[in-house]
Amino acid sequence: MTAHLKNETLLEVESIFLSFGGVHALSDVSFDIRKGEVRSIIGPNGAGKSSMLNVINGFYHPQKGIITYQGKRRAQMKPHEAASGGIARTFQNIALFRGMSTLDNIMTGRNTKMSKGLFWQALHFGPAKREEIENREFVEHVIDFLEIQTIRKTPVGRLPYGLQKRVELGRALAAEPTLLLLDEPMAGMNLEEKEDMSRFILETNEEFGTTIALIEHDMGVVMDISDRVVVLDYGRKIAEGTPEEVRANQNVIDAYLGVSHD
Amino acid sequence: MLYRENGQFKSSYSADQAIFPIAQDRVFVIGILLVAFCGVPFVINEYWANAILIPLLVYALAGLGLNILTGYCGQVSLGTGAFMAVGAYASFKLVGFFPEVNYLILIFFSGLVTAAVGVLFGLPSLRIKGFYLAVATLAAQFFLIWLFNKVGWFYDHSPTGMITVRPIDFFGIRVTGPEATPAAKYLFTLTIIAVLTLAAKNIVRGRIGRSWMAIRDMDIAAELIGIKPLQAKLSAFAVSSFYIGVAGALYFGVYLGSAEPLEAFDINQSFYVLFIIIIGGLGSILGAFLGAAFIVLLPILMKNLMVGGFGVASGTAGHVEILLLGALIIFFLIVEPHGLARLWQIAKEKLRLWPFPH
Amino acid sequence: MAFDLFLLEVVISGLMTGVMYALVALGFVLIFKASGVFNFAQGVLALFAALALYDFLAEDGWFFAVFGFTLPVWLAIPATALIMILLAWVIERAVLRFLVKQEEIILFMATIGLAFVLEGLGDLLFGSDVKPLDIGIPQGASDWLLDNFNLYVEKLEIVAAATAAVLVTALAIFFQKTRVGRALRAVADDHQAALSVGISLDKIWVVVWSVSGIVALVAGIMWGSKSGVQFSLSLIALKALPVLILGGFTSVPGAIVGGLIIGVGEKLAEVYVGPLVGGAIENWFAYVLALGFLLFRPQGLFGERIIERV
Repeated sequence: MTAHLKNETLLEVESIFLSFGGVHALSDVSFDIRKGEVRSIIGPNGAGKSSMLNVINGFYHPQKGIITYQGKRRAQMKPHEAASGGIARTFQNIALFRGMSTLDNIMTGRNTKMSKGLFWQALHFGPAKREEIENREFVEHVIDFLEIQTIRKTPVGRLPYGLQKRVELGRALAAEPTLLLLDEPMAGMNLEEKEDMSRFILETNEEFGTTIALIEHDMGVVMDISDRVVVLDYGRKIAEGTPEEVRANQNVIDAYLGVSHD
Repeated sequence: MLYRENGQFKSSYSADQAIFPIAQDRVFVIGILLVAFCGVPFVINEYWANAILIPLLVYALAGLGLNILTGYCGQVSLGTGAFMAVGAYASFKLVGFFPEVNYLILIFFSGLVTAAVGVLFGLPSLRIKGFYLAVATLAAQFFLIWLFNKVGWFYDHSPTGMITVRPIDFFGIRVTGPEATPAAKYLFTLTIIAVLTLAAKNIVRGRIGRSWMAIRDMDIAAELIGIKPLQAKLSAFAVSSFYIGVAGALYFGVYLGSAEPLEAFDINQSFYVLFIIIIGGLGSILGAFLGAAFIVLLPILMKNLMVGGFGVASGTAGHVEILLLGALIIFFLIVEPHGLARLWQIAKEKLRLWPFPH
Repeated sequence: MAFDLFLLEVVISGLMTGVMYALVALGFVLIFKASGVFNFAQGVLALFAALALYDFLAEDGWFFAVFGFTLPVWLAIPATALIMILLAWVIERAVLRFLVKQEEIILFMATIGLAFVLEGLGDLLFGSDVKPLDIGIPQGASDWLLDNFNLYVEKLEIVAAATAAVLVTALAIFFQKTRVGRALRAVADDHQAALSVGISLDKIWVVVWSVSGIVALVAGIMWGSKSGVQFSLSLIALKALPVLILGGFTSVPGAIVGGLIIGVGEKLAEVYVGPLVGGAIENWFAYVLALGFLLFRPQGLFGERIIERV
């Protein structure tokens, strides 16, 4: 995992303050994500982890603080700027498009790569069809990678939870992201499913060099696959470092009250 | 054993993406098209054309349009009647200004005008959703109808306030007005609807259609994966309004012959088309046709049954019709919210297994 | 003095109309507050209630035909209220309970269907001619106001305003103080959670639709007394939409304020802007006003802000 780490920063957040009404979701959070690493964000429930991802994504706009992505500073990101900038994500409570099939859902992930307009779409034969097939080929690679060929045409609403999470990962991967944000990708999965998911995440990181920011509660997984970890509690950063460093940190232990998560 | 996919393997993505991947479906549809284009014109008469086929086609087109907006993109609209009016009045004025230009081209431009108006009234959808948006479309509905009623320019200052279609020839064949033959009117309408249906089907299964459905299913997630809500929603309004506008132009020019805004394009019309897509099936191209068939045939059935069969007064038959329509809407929403199209699909799936039970 | 009496009359007239709108909007708010459903059939419910009431009172109705006598007003009104409760029960059993899990848009369309059913039923049962409704509300203009202030205000509308005030207060108390009211608010917030603390969804819905039905009855009485019981009553439902946009879908005071604003706004627009553009602005003014509001304050004056979460 650490072999191909260049010490180049892909994303940096500085002094992020985010609140909703009176609730302070994030207070003065700063950390960075290096290119090619797997960076886990952990912390007790309500610590602000999902909010942090939402800020990176451009869904929430922090009241204060700066985000620097690929060297460019931003005070605020618009969601589709983040998407076309190469940031893709999965969601804590699956956000798949229920009315569509697996294939169509993953194809929507290719949206930023496709551009043929209304006229060509209406005609279908010609440039639109070619574009559709090109992108379909890429999506099929993703489908093969995630081993979900048999559920290609199934409407995602009918799939079991674990497979839905996998399809959501597929949709994110289809966008060929530079930075992949995963919000509890293994929540609600059994051991076998978790092993599969970990394998997919690691392969994505190692083979394609995708930088990954991961929210996860399963400490075993976090220790196994992360390069570095950030710990949040009540909206503040209370520790960061390698998994071993963080595990030994007293603040972290206090925050979790020593409760094991398996 | 009739309906099997056995042996029909697709060896290319192109084949997999075809509109009718199963051979039996292709044959069926080609059959229908053959009958529609080559058979019906020879046997059609005034009644069938004017009371059944042409309204069916026109309403199906309107239903297609509304389905694109509401069924595929999830934006509720109660302004369909008004948009049909825009198409009708646009075609009326355009024919007045450019009588020598081909009618088809003028209808196309009427659609474009309606698309522009649709985009304008669709702008609020960027900030509001659900039935709040429905209110915005109601604003369009009431305002536009008032406009067409009040401003004389729209109806060439005719003292009755009505617009009447001029007799128009399409490549030498009369297609509007009392002298047009039923076959001519029918074929003209059919061709337009066939081409537009194909276009709709193409759009819907491609990138733009997917972006519409993504917005419908979860607009926040859609935005977060890079689908621009502005483009998606406004394109839905534009395409939808185009279709509804063309439907309106045909409704006025070929079907009615003359129209008056409060009767032909009022809020009840908006409800009618909404019912078409609910009964036919939201988010389904086929659904628009099934729903239109239903809505057009029901009153005829009712009249024949009740007035002809039971001797009921036609006023009462009208009330029963309204009651039945409402009950059917509720029935469909409860039992099969995906409408007749889903029932059709289920029937086909049963047919695949036939004669085996499962 | 330079006080424009005409303007005052227009404003008062608008306020009075606004009260009438508010009465109908109240019924909407109740149902929406407690079940998240926008009941498009509310206007038709008012019409239906008025038709039923007329039937109890008049000699050309079914009641008279079956029983041979008509009911006095003080019996007819409770009888109609009972009918509305029965109707609420039927609606819950036949329609609502099957649509619990569907999205609001489906429920909304179901209420459109319901509106059509009730309209057709009403026409079939009671006939579609205009019926005068007289339950003893004094007619004509208030003499006192006319004599002392030179103001023309109808007594009926004053009664309507007073009734609305009483209703609103009663409903507010109901929601805030009673057990059932609290349960209703719980249900509006979260169906699942309410179920899990033992609140019975179907009973709640019957209660809500009954209360709404009674509010509809009051609205129907007022409108019916004013202009006779006729089909256009159901179109008021459409007017209630802008009222709700302005006031917020979940706010009882909002319905009143929204109704007043729309009522006054419409009248003023009609009187002052109308002549410039040929009149009949009332047809669309309310909607355009609501639209404007939606763009700047989607939750209305009193509604709750919606925060989206992912």
